[in-house]
Amino acid sequence: MNTLRPGDAMLTDWREAATRFEREIAKAVVGQERAIRLVTIAIFARGHVMLEGDVGVGKTTLLRAVARGLGGAYERVEGTVDMMPTDLIYHTYLGEDGRPRVEPGPVLRQAEDLSVFFFNEINRARPQVHALLLRLMAERSVAAFNREYRFPNLQVFADRNRVEREETFELPAAARDRFLMEIGMEAPRDVEARRALVFDPRFHDTDRLTKEVATGVLDHTRIGAIARAIQHAVRAEPPIERYVVGLWEALVRPAAAGIRLSGIDMERLVQGGASPRGVAFLVRAARVRAWLEGRDWLVPEDLRAAFPEVMAHRVFLEPVYEMRRSEIVPELIRAVFDTVPAP
Amino acid sequence: MRALLLVLLLSAVSAAMPALAQVRGVELRVPRAFGYFLGDLVPVQADIRVDPGFTLQRPSLPKPGPVTYWLDLRSVAIEERREGDATLIRLRLTYQSFYAALDSRTLEVPGFPVTIQSDGQEGLTTATVQVPAWKLGVSPLREVQPERRDDPAEYLLPDGRAPRLDPNPATAAALTLLALAALALVPLARDRAWGIFAPRRGRPFALGLKALRRTRRKTAGDARDREALLVLHRAVDATAGRRVLADDLPLFLDRHPAFRGQADDLARFFAASRRAFFGRETEAAARTLPLPEIETLLARLAAAERSA
Repeated sequence: MNTLRPGDAMLTDWREAATRFEREIAKAVVGQERAIRLVTIAIFARGHVMLEGDVGVGKTTLLRAVARGLGGAYERVEGTVDMMPTDLIYHTYLGEDGRPRVEPGPVLRQAEDLSVFFFNEINRARPQVHALLLRLMAERSVAAFNREYRFPNLQVFADRNRVEREETFELPAAARDRFLMEIGMEAPRDVEARRALVFDPRFHDTDRLTKEVATGVLDHTRIGAIARAIQHAVRAEPPIERYVVGLWEALVRPAAAGIRLSGIDMERLVQGGASPRGVAFLVRAARVRAWLEGRDWLVPEDLRAAFPEVMAHRVFLEPVYEMRRSEIVPELIRAVFDTVPAP
Repeated sequence: MRALLLVLLLSAVSAAMPALAQVRGVELRVPRAFGYFLGDLVPVQADIRVDPGFTLQRPSLPKPGPVTYWLDLRSVAIEERREGDATLIRLRLTYQSFYAALDSRTLEVPGFPVTIQSDGQEGLTTATVQVPAWKLGVSPLREVQPERRDDPAEYLLPDGRAPRLDPNPATAAALTLLALAALALVPLARDRAWGIFAPRRGRPFALGLKALRRTRRKTAGDARDREALLVLHRAVDATAGRRVLADDLPLFLDRHPAFRGQADDLARFFAASRRAFFGRETEAAARTLPLPEIETLLARLAAAERSA
């Protein structure tokens, strides 16, 4: 079923590179094939990624490995309560001569070459910082030193741990909507992987572990062009278009689609969300997945593979159900896929 | 009424002159004035006749509770109504006597005052009515000096015989209600689809086969091929109870092992459907799985479904 046409040799080469990239990452991060696949999809969909999970499941390791595999400049900041937007843009200090200096901060330091911006513990930063990030993510540009900096290759990775609630700031809906995916990471279930993670000293030193990942498996400057090529090359037939619209409709109006979840008032469950941008993101991610699977046409499975990560955080529930979000939304999504007819 | 008129007394008790004019009389009735034992309830009816417009001031009534050391007031109920050109205030008092009498004797139940009021044009008029004291005859329950017995338990007399109740009406009612409850199970079972109301396992593939034969007659060409694929899709979906995509086939076969024999054909069907709907090669898809083959596959699946 390898239906990528010979004319798309470049895409085929890149697909092999992507597979190599996944293999390299898997050296450092074991038992997270799904997360690695999703991150790869996000890279080729030019989308920003939010990683979510417990402490110590390998979020940071995964992102460091990805940054290394991607090549290009890489910056990393840790979110703190007292961080201000200017801390990201400017670096102020007293020079040797005792005079104050203002130099480019983490975001600007690598200037236009910045390819991975890694925001650790994003929910510890204040909303002001989230607002700056909003522009950085949506427009890939920032105004500073009286000019505009553009970051054509920039990809933002953020992580947040969902255990702690103290001294954290929930991301505004607009900021969350700009992330292509929110990937939930859990410790691997596989016994062998768990054993290795605990006993193999290789996994204890993250610095050395990430060094094992070959650098620059993908040429980060060309990913933008490849991403565009993928979006043009992978076709969506009318039945798929109808399927996406059906999924969207069922997600926003589950009661009308005949979805029933026990103990939940379906008429009132979903308040809003699932923005057109979100659905467009979904199709983008699905196209990348089709390409990674070696097809140049979309199938429903492509949509299903990326759906929870792309759509779950864009659905806004009635406040009563918001606290039980982590159980309700996956159930709702499963019900949507169980209900909407594919072809 | 076998009630005994005990006291009829024009209200000369009160010294207040206005009260004389307004209170026309107080009348006490008890069923009998004698023969009360320890613990007996004594219903007393006090009729107070007053001028029209007067009503009883409720807070002035005695509160239920101990009256004397041997007498409790259990309850007080009031009725007020017009009677001729007067207003009748009827108090129904229930006393309980706790006097452990050793001989028959007459005790005095104390009277009490109540206040009546009229909210006339000249302002509020009140008057006091004295409900008079009355006599109550109490009797002993037992002999003072009973015959001597060896066993103290013999001093106790046997209880009075309780009337024997007829169990038949209660049994009949219980049986009737039981029968009704059993009958009510029928609609419940229907609602819950229990037992004989349990839905029979659908036969989606058999239905699909019928639908396929119908579409075969009606449509033709490309649309017919797609329609046939859709029919098979819907039958698989209905069997699984959810939408089955091509990648779900192994899971579907795990859950429904009866169809394992058709695994290869099903895989071919899913591949063909994928191409027909989502790929660019509808004709090629039709070639890999022509309509007669779909029909054969459906027939085989329907057969497997019957034997499952």
